[in-house]
Amino acid sequence: MESISFLKKHRNIFLLIVVIVVVAIWKPHAAIYGLQRGSLYSLVGLPLSLTLGVVGIMNLAHGDFLSLGIYFVYLFSTNLGMDPLLSIIPVSILLFLLGVVIYKLTVTRVLKSGHLNQLLLTFGISMILLEAMNLIWTSRPRSVYVEYSSTSTTIAGVRFGTYELLYVLFAFAVLIALQLFLKKTRLGQATFAVGQNPRGAKIVGINTGFVYLFVFGISVAILGIAAGVMVPRFAIFPSVGAAFTMKSFCLVAMAGLGNLTGILVSGIVLGVGEAIVQSIPGYAGWSDIVFFGVLIAVIMIRSLRRHSL
Amino acid sequence: MKITKSLIILLVLIAAALLPILTEAYFISVAITILTFMTLAISWDMMLRTGQLSFGTAGFFGLGGYTGIIAVADFGVDPVMGIVLGGLLAGGVSLLLGMAILRLRGLYFAITTMALASVFMVIIRNLHKLTGGPSGKIVYTTLFNYDSAKVYWLMLGIAVGTIVISELFQRSRIRFAVDAIRADETVAKSHGVNIYKYLIFVFVVTSIIQGVIGSTYALQYGFVYPESSFSAHYLLLPIAMALVGGIYSTIGPVLGAVILGLSSEYLKLIMPYGHLIIYGVIIVVVVLFMPNGVYGALKGLFGIRKRRLEER
Repeated sequence: MESISFLKKHRNIFLLIVVIVVVAIWKPHAAIYGLQRGSLYSLVGLPLSLTLGVVGIMNLAHGDFLSLGIYFVYLFSTNLGMDPLLSIIPVSILLFLLGVVIYKLTVTRVLKSGHLNQLLLTFGISMILLEAMNLIWTSRPRSVYVEYSSTSTTIAGVRFGTYELLYVLFAFAVLIALQLFLKKTRLGQATFAVGQNPRGAKIVGINTGFVYLFVFGISVAILGIAAGVMVPRFAIFPSVGAAFTMKSFCLVAMAGLGNLTGILVSGIVLGVGEAIVQSIPGYAGWSDIVFFGVLIAVIMIRSLRRHSL
Repeated sequence: MKITKSLIILLVLIAAALLPILTEAYFISVAITILTFMTLAISWDMMLRTGQLSFGTAGFFGLGGYTGIIAVADFGVDPVMGIVLGGLLAGGVSLLLGMAILRLRGLYFAITTMALASVFMVIIRNLHKLTGGPSGKIVYTTLFNYDSAKVYWLMLGIAVGTIVISELFQRSRIRFAVDAIRADETVAKSHGVNIYKYLIFVFVVTSIIQGVIGSTYALQYGFVYPESSFSAHYLLLPIAMALVGGIYSTIGPVLGAVILGLSSEYLKLIMPYGHLIIYGVIIVVVVLFMPNGVYGALKGLFGIRKRRLEER
């Protein structure tokens, strides 16, 4: 009996492992690339899920904060010669402060005014960030080279980049850290409570305003981690992060609100899906549609089942 | 009061119609751009009145543009007919999509429409034979052979048509349904309003308008290119214009388009790169501090004055 309930509880994870094993036998490259890229999607998607679940705000500027973080990492590594991975610390702190300031100046004013104003506001912020980056750094692509980013290894005849395994590592680390934070710390428990029932949380004396502020700030700060691991392998240009907003939202819609583990699972599933499409000769360009197709399908299924998302 | 109002409208229309005769080419092209964005802004606002925030304007704009160009280039259709086809295809696609995504509300509708432009772009970029893929497509028979006065009149016609449709919506029973849906969907439903039907109707009509204006815009220059046809411009500017002018009205987006359209010409001169940042700032400021826009502020001002007069 116990083993069955254990299986049920972790159904998604088992499903994930089965999917990866099947794909690994069929298309080993797609499996490993998908795992790597999917973890990166999850790493970016986790903080969006947190803001959407706790603060209740869909931050359309999510991906642009990521781009900004990437430029910060770029500045730290080109001007100060700092290692991109090490610069995660100062960049995350900078992003946290920026997130807090933007939250205090703008987001806090639309918390009660309905999703329409919230979406328009974050859309405006997204445009400001994007165009500011265009203005400061122009659209010329830049890159940061570190030696260790281009290493590769061969296992069972499959050659793949080892650096990208860091995405997997960081995604799991951030997920575990967030889970520990939510379960073990006082502030984390308060955050969890606000996410479950803001009014109830307020009644029992939780400072919901502070929780919102903190969650928004920390969500933007986590993007600093993603930015740090991305920089060695990505061309840097102002709209580099923009595509991640939609993809992150897609993961949240798939996993359901408040399901952080689900973000990782759906991220990896979609990453593998993308990699499979990309590995079909002549159809590589269609891979971008995987996310949107899944997004629409998931939303349709949920709306037909009358599940509230 | 009513006579003065219709007189003003008539004078504005005559002035607008005479514009190409009175001014030079540069100003005509500015006016064409303003009319393009005005139409987009009104159509975006028409959907917003139902309480659904659509980020799909750029998608249907680009789709219309591609349809027009392909119809003219591959099937030898007359450009004016190409515009009609652009509108029809956008309408057809929006009907099919609307039946699916209008089951969603609020946040999920908004995000899904935001994905539309990207989906259209991916599809178009990959159908190399039909669309020219990433390098775009050129057509040699443009609309009225680059006669900008005629293009202007056509644009003016489309804009006036859109204004008329928008006003018809505001003055018919559609308005009651739409306002009821925006205010409270459950109440509207329990009063027998067929929400789904009205939402689809408005979504299709606004998409047709966006498709028509998109193909007109593409056919006057005779080319389409994925990144520029589906550019976020066609989403960002109309939203900023409608917000500045004042949402939930016809006159708001019109005013906003004229104000921002004229000032953007100046902005482009002093700030060639990144002048779009101003639009972002405008959206944020309007959402935070001036939710009713210029028209709302003016109306408030006159409303207060009227009330004061009545009090005396």
